[in-house]
Amino acid sequence: MKSEDELVEEVLSGNHRSFELLLEPYRQGLLNMAYRMTGNLEEAKEVCQEALIKVYRHLDKFMIGRSFKSWIYKITVNSAYDSLRKKKKYEDLVESQKKIGLSSGYDPEKQLLNREIKSKIETCLQNLSPKEKAAFLLRDGEGFSIQEASEILRCSSISVRTHLSRARKKIREQFEKINIAETKEVRR
Amino acid sequence: MAGSEIPESKILSLKAHLEECPKCRQEYASYLLSLEKTKEWLAKDRIDWKESDWQQAIQRAIKDKKPEVTPLVTWPFKKVWAYSLIGVLAVALTLLFIIRPSIIQKKMGLGSEKFTQEQAQLFRSSPEESEQEVVSMTLVSKETGLKIVWFLNKNFELEVKK
Repeated sequence: MKSEDELVEEVLSGNHRSFELLLEPYRQGLLNMAYRMTGNLEEAKEVCQEALIKVYRHLDKFMIGRSFKSWIYKITVNSAYDSLRKKKKYEDLVESQKKIGLSSGYDPEKQLLNREIKSKIETCLQNLSPKEKAAFLLRDGEGFSIQEASEILRCSSISVRTHLSRARKKIREQFEKINIAETKEVRR
Repeated sequence: MAGSEIPESKILSLKAHLEECPKCRQEYASYLLSLEKTKEWLAKDRIDWKESDWQQAIQRAIKDKKPEVTPLVTWPFKKVWAYSLIGVLAVALTLLFIIRPSIIQKKMGLGSEKFTQEQAQLFRSSPEESEQEVVSMTLVSKETGLKIVWFLNKNFELEVKK
């Protein structure tokens, strides 16, 4: 099996097939990251498309030997920020996140099963700022280290810790609210 | 808590505190539970591309623009070349800003003793005039046309002229 650096070299020398092989391990992760950031599947696909274009266009600037995964996540997170900036209405985003269970008609059967989980996640994530959300998703969703997350988010590791800590605190508060609400329903 | 990357020494002290403090223990347990559950939800609720969508996205990225490999990318002395250019520019700018003004001064005779004397003469035609001893102020009444002239010395004290 070829290494990522070898695949990068192959793409740069004109082998298009290698580009797909290079990105295959991250296709799900990137889409999920963009989806959680934007709160909308169609928008997430657009963000990923934008990121893929940037990755291909600037592949010659990727420094061989460094982490390709961190690099493509950095591009995706930045594309998601751009998308959010274009909207300029974060409140709208919160509203769309609430409706998300109905808007993303992906796999109806699976969606029905996951609707409860989805709404719980959305409830937990909806109060986070974009940076807090990105830090949380990178660390706790995608399993990046603090150092890697700081490189992706272009900020210090202290800043990542702060965002992560705030995000976890908010999520815990939301989680407790959900738990309390569920307990009350069970008692009824 | 702060990023799950706490130094070993701090972990030990935190563990010791948790064993002693039931309130913090409860807080910590609730924190861990919420984190664990959220992670679990995130792992369960993962979406994926439809194969056709993924292929389309890849094709669009490739068709959008071919990566341009410029000669500089493959040139091994790229960095050396860039640093030497910066060095040359720095030296050139230093010469421009430090040496050139002194050349201009020399050419025009600026900064020489003769020039300084000339300058001094321009502003001081006679030694007597250099320090003004008396200042006069004239007040004219619009109604009567009466003129009052005040003479003040260099300390702005009124001097009586007889």
